[in-house]
Amino acid sequence: MKATPTDKKITARMQPGVITYSGFLGKDTRNFKQIIADDEMVLEKLGKSAEEIADRLEYFQQKSFDAFQGSTVVDEIYDVNTEVVRGYLPCPFMHQGVYRKSYTTVTNTKSGKSFTYSALNIHLIRVHHFFEGKKSHFRLEPRELVAELF
Amino acid sequence: MLIRILQDIALMGGIGVILALILVLAQRWLSNYGEVTININGKRDLTVTGGETLLTSLGDKQIFIPSACGGRGTCGACKCQILDGGGPILPTEKPLLTKQEMGDNVRLACQVKVKSDIKIQIPDEIFNIRRFHSVIEEILDYTYDIKGVTFKLSEGQTIDFKAGQYVQLETKPYGKVKQKVMRAYSISSKPEIKDRIQLIVRLVPEGICTTWVHNQLKVGDEVDFTGPYGDFYLRDTDADIIFVAGGSGSAPIKSMLEHLREVGTKRKMTYFFGARTVKDLYLEEEMRDFEEYFDDFEYVPVLSHADETDNWQGKTGFVMPYFKEAIRDPKNTEAYLCGSPGMIAAVTKSLINDYGIAEEKIYYDSFG
Repeated sequence: MKATPTDKKITARMQPGVITYSGFLGKDTRNFKQIIADDEMVLEKLGKSAEEIADRLEYFQQKSFDAFQGSTVVDEIYDVNTEVVRGYLPCPFMHQGVYRKSYTTVTNTKSGKSFTYSALNIHLIRVHHFFEGKKSHFRLEPRELVAELF
Repeated sequence: MLIRILQDIALMGGIGVILALILVLAQRWLSNYGEVTININGKRDLTVTGGETLLTSLGDKQIFIPSACGGRGTCGACKCQILDGGGPILPTEKPLLTKQEMGDNVRLACQVKVKSDIKIQIPDEIFNIRRFHSVIEEILDYTYDIKGVTFKLSEGQTIDFKAGQYVQLETKPYGKVKQKVMRAYSISSKPEIKDRIQLIVRLVPEGICTTWVHNQLKVGDEVDFTGPYGDFYLRDTDADIIFVAGGSGSAPIKSMLEHLREVGTKRKMTYFFGARTVKDLYLEEEMRDFEEYFDDFEYVPVLSHADETDNWQGKTGFVMPYFKEAIRDPKNTEAYLCGSPGMIAAVTKSLINDYGIAEEKIYYDSFG
């Protein structure tokens, strides 16, 4: 599939050092469209939509915000903590608006598995179905999210 | 036949060159806006070459509007009111402006092209903002993810700021980072020192600037920054003070305390510092020194996740319940807060609703 000028711009914004230090693609050799398509297939098999996952991530984040961004236990088994630092991040897909640099960590205390994501991650998943490339700092594996957070 | 083909090629080539020339000339003519005037606050006229953004045009004249994204239209920090000119609000600006701001014709200076005369309104404090060139003089490791960095200004340069204000650091390209970015950090040194400043920088996951500061900068490196910015500063009154900070939010509080030590004060002051664990505490010795020096100052660290191995004997949980011990007269108490928006919101709500502090006496620097 030939990359459109918009695709090229988005890809450029996903490179290391443009919006974040390591970028959004990690060590993935696929283009972002293929990454999205592959993750959508995984989601389809799992019977969950990207919107449902984004809602779930936002649910934990909101619970943490309700606890003044301190730590809180949600649904008895999830330890949730959010760190907020100064500044905002724009969307690499060139959506207008910016996303606060907030980093939420959810730990499933039964399995010990943790996930850390930013406010931008929630937007990327909900609107673009983009979970980031393999080995990207904030890559979230759909399969793991569904197994651990639902 | 061959000659005919060559003639046609030459003719087409000639037409192509002429068209290209016309395009170049047209572009120069069409995009040449000549000299235009920026009128600031109805008082001052700047003559600039038309066609650049308002942010760049002002910067070229050493007037620095705050901007965290380097003019890419993503941070919304460079808002200023356009009184006349500037064209309509662009779609790129709308998501970062409120309805009220759009009604007042507040614009993003980085998106407004100065193509004709324009009248703008900006706070007078912005005229005090300068660009500084400095050399890194000292880097201290305060915690595992917080450093204190001292910037010595170039010979002859001095900075005037109020305790609590911030500067914008400009990174240089490094490693995978090809573009410079600008990021805001509160000054942690006292304003009485005018030839150097200290900043406290916490490492942010994937942060371009904080990674640069933590992993690249070393003593002797040259760094540029602009400032001072911000309306979070110590008010000159006799009111009691409650300081509340978390993480790198200690920076402006340290500056305020050092300033008060310099000028002298009898004010009752209590500083609540919220941290997760013992390893997140820093500037402890400095705070104990302040306790020794001031007549009525108490430093109260509060840990939200004290580890059993920390053997922590101090206060735990949220900071708010402990305010009761510090507030003797709500009507004569000011609060200075620096930290995450969640912490600021919770503390502000508590100060107003639980302790009766007037909202207008609560000053804060909310990260973001």
